[in-house]
Amino acid sequence: MSAFLEVQQIKKQWAHTVTVGPITVDIARGEIIALLGPSGSGKTTMLRLLAGFETPDGGRIVVEGEDVTTVPPARRRFGMVFQHYALFPHLDVGENVAFGLRGQVDAARKAADALRLVDLAGFERRKVQELSGGQQQRVALARALAPEPRVLLLDEPLSNLDPALRERTRRELRQLIKRVGITTVFVTHEQEEAFDLGDRVAVLNAGHLEQAGAPDELYERPATLFVATFVGRANVFRGASARALGGGEGIVVVRPERLRFAGAGLPGVVRERRYTGAAAFFLVESVAGERFEVLAEPDAAKVGDRVFVEAQRVIRFAENGR
Amino acid sequence: MTRRRAELAGAGLALLLAWLVLFPILVVARDAADGTALRAFVDRPGEWAALWASVWISLVSVALAAAIGVPLAFLFEWFDFPGRKTLGSLVALPVVLPPLVGVIAFLFLYGESGFIARAVQALFGLREAPWRLQGPAAILLVHAYSMYVYFYLFTRAGLAKLDVSMLEAAQALGAGRWATIRRVVLPLVRPSLVGAAILTFMTALGSFSAPYIFGGGFRVMTTQIVATKLNGDLPLAMVETLALAVVAVAGLLVLRRTEGDDILVALGKGIAPRPRPISSPGVRLLATVAGWGFAVLLLLPHLTLALVSLVPYGAWTTEILPPVLNFENYRRLFSEAERLRPLVNSLWMSAVSTAVAVVLALAAGWLVVRGRVALRRAIEGLLALPWALPGTVFAIALAMTFSVNAPPLRWVLVGTVAILPLAYLVRALPLTGRALLAGYRQLDPALEEAAASLGAGRWRTLWRVTLPQLRPGLAAGASLAFVAALGDIVASIVLYTYETRPISIEILSSLRLSETGVAAAFGVVLMVVSALVLGIGARR
Repeated sequence: MSAFLEVQQIKKQWAHTVTVGPITVDIARGEIIALLGPSGSGKTTMLRLLAGFETPDGGRIVVEGEDVTTVPPARRRFGMVFQHYALFPHLDVGENVAFGLRGQVDAARKAADALRLVDLAGFERRKVQELSGGQQQRVALARALAPEPRVLLLDEPLSNLDPALRERTRRELRQLIKRVGITTVFVTHEQEEAFDLGDRVAVLNAGHLEQAGAPDELYERPATLFVATFVGRANVFRGASARALGGGEGIVVVRPERLRFAGAGLPGVVRERRYTGAAAFFLVESVAGERFEVLAEPDAAKVGDRVFVEAQRVIRFAENGR
Repeated sequence: MTRRRAELAGAGLALLLAWLVLFPILVVARDAADGTALRAFVDRPGEWAALWASVWISLVSVALAAAIGVPLAFLFEWFDFPGRKTLGSLVALPVVLPPLVGVIAFLFLYGESGFIARAVQALFGLREAPWRLQGPAAILLVHAYSMYVYFYLFTRAGLAKLDVSMLEAAQALGAGRWATIRRVVLPLVRPSLVGAAILTFMTALGSFSAPYIFGGGFRVMTTQIVATKLNGDLPLAMVETLALAVVAVAGLLVLRRTEGDDILVALGKGIAPRPRPISSPGVRLLATVAGWGFAVLLLLPHLTLALVSLVPYGAWTTEILPPVLNFENYRRLFSEAERLRPLVNSLWMSAVSTAVAVVLALAAGWLVVRGRVALRRAIEGLLALPWALPGTVFAIALAMTFSVNAPPLRWVLVGTVAILPLAYLVRALPLTGRALLAGYRQLDPALEEAAASLGAGRWRTLWRVTLPQLRPGLAAGASLAFVAALGDIVASIVLYTYETRPISIEILSSLRLSETGVAAAFGVVLMVVSALVLGIGARR
């Protein structure tokens, strides 16, 4: 894989105690990569470093072999969609989309093309305030794509939409980006969004890159305890319980669907049952007082049952979580 | 802009502002440290009387303005009655009367030879005017009329931000109407009330026109200072100026302490209560009649001014209403070059000072909010400083500082065309500064970043994105600054030269020559221009 966008040892010092990086990631041409992490993990800083709104204290950003680390945003040719869209309220839709096309002879046509791309053909003279949230998001996308940027950056692209709209928009957004074929980096704090929209996901925590990889890789083979617990549901076991489930010394993580009720194994009592339709989550308390979830057939157990649990697949970590 | 260049620009701006607004005050403070003058001030009972008069006049002005403005705000914000909308905007009309113009309107209306006095005299067959409009009562009347608007506007704004669910919650918890107002509404609008009180107090303390025209033997500090200065006792004038400045700052600090938490306001972001129709027909009629009656009362000064401006010189002697009305005064005003000159002077000097104040405020807004330069607090404080001190203080300070030739800090500017625009500029800085700082703070930085990421350079971003967004605040601040400069009297009276005499000086000299019609015509022109400019500034 030859990298189209290279992030090399990039670093930003905020205060004496708050540092983002050093982070290194290679992104292939046309790839969609998600920056996933809790708030304060440095994902927004990463995006702003890529856009050029922040200058790094170390490291390089390279696009197609060109070092753009010190190139100002206005000349970087990276398109950005802001969390709250940042549409210019004093300009109409057409003027917003054409803003980045100044001086180009066919600006009007390009703007119209960009609007058609996001299914808003003929919206040129509408005021941005009159549009729904979903339409505003598409205008912001059209505006970012119109100048044909090298890289598309999205800051929490779906956080401003209501939940019902989010899932559909997510699919449409992915199809559109793939159709345009643009290399894309987006920030999100929702794992589902990262998995659905991204080809690869980079998990950040406390300013560090924990792991970057395809969604199933992160889920099945998390590199750290943080990734294991942040991505998907996870039961964490230590000590005797970990050994009872077939682990060794250290920490054992088991996904709920990888645990099942059996004739022997880790003993416990079913405390709660949460029915989801196709299956049910059983909250089990072990003798040592650990609480964990088992995903099983809805009639696999009842509240109050004494059960044994065994693991079909465990993920092992050393005591330091690595 | 790189960090270094931003910091340099910030330091440069801070220095410039310090020279403009702080240095003259320091000059006054140094000159006031003069033993003889200090002793003279301390020993003379007249000085203390004037200082005390300034304080109690200001406090009573606050009380009167609140007593009129706050109930009016509740009436217009909470109750619906015929004509509510029209009246609601009429009620703010005193704002378009510059202080001096309002004062002469009162003179023509309620003065001893004004319309009301003449009518009463004729009605009861009195030989003399029934009253004289003089002393503290007259000053307070003018203050109440012109300053209740602050309480009215601030309280309405505060009430409009209230969340109706809070009032409903109070009622659901068993609080009656008055308990709700006392325990929920008033605490929530307290920041607005304190804001209005501060503004009223500072305006009343700095008020010059009303005590100057109506004071008679009654002196407040502002008129005392100007009298001392015109008498040529400069060291004493310095001490008086400093005393007034100290009182102003102390008053500001005391009032600030009562302001309370802003958090209270921030919580209440919901739907404001809808105006409730008054159900009882009798009360509704009463409210309507009272409302319209009040509006007429408010409009009387404007109408008086218009009427007097149509009375030609010497045509009105003892009649209740003037017998001859024509446009002679306006014709003379606009056809005689010497008469037109003050108007032209006022317009260009106000325009220049406003333009410079806007440019400085724009730079300050950028450096403080976006650049976050090290000296940002100093810049903000310096911009606000002229607001915390009465106009008289700055008038005297500038007169002292710029009558001495000691470059690079002091030049002889008094007597040149530069001094009045400079004085207006100092007064304009807090108005444009506050408007643009607030505008910059509300401006989403993502808009500028979006422009940059779309390839726009710094100037194009400023022109196409930042300025259009700042326009409402910029227009509001600039129009206030322009109107303040246009209506200024105290700086003008201390600093004008014959060639640069502004409109307010011309009004005073017309009055002195008993050319009331000309004075009124000038007043009408000032009022119309102020109303137009404020109207443009308030447009969204």
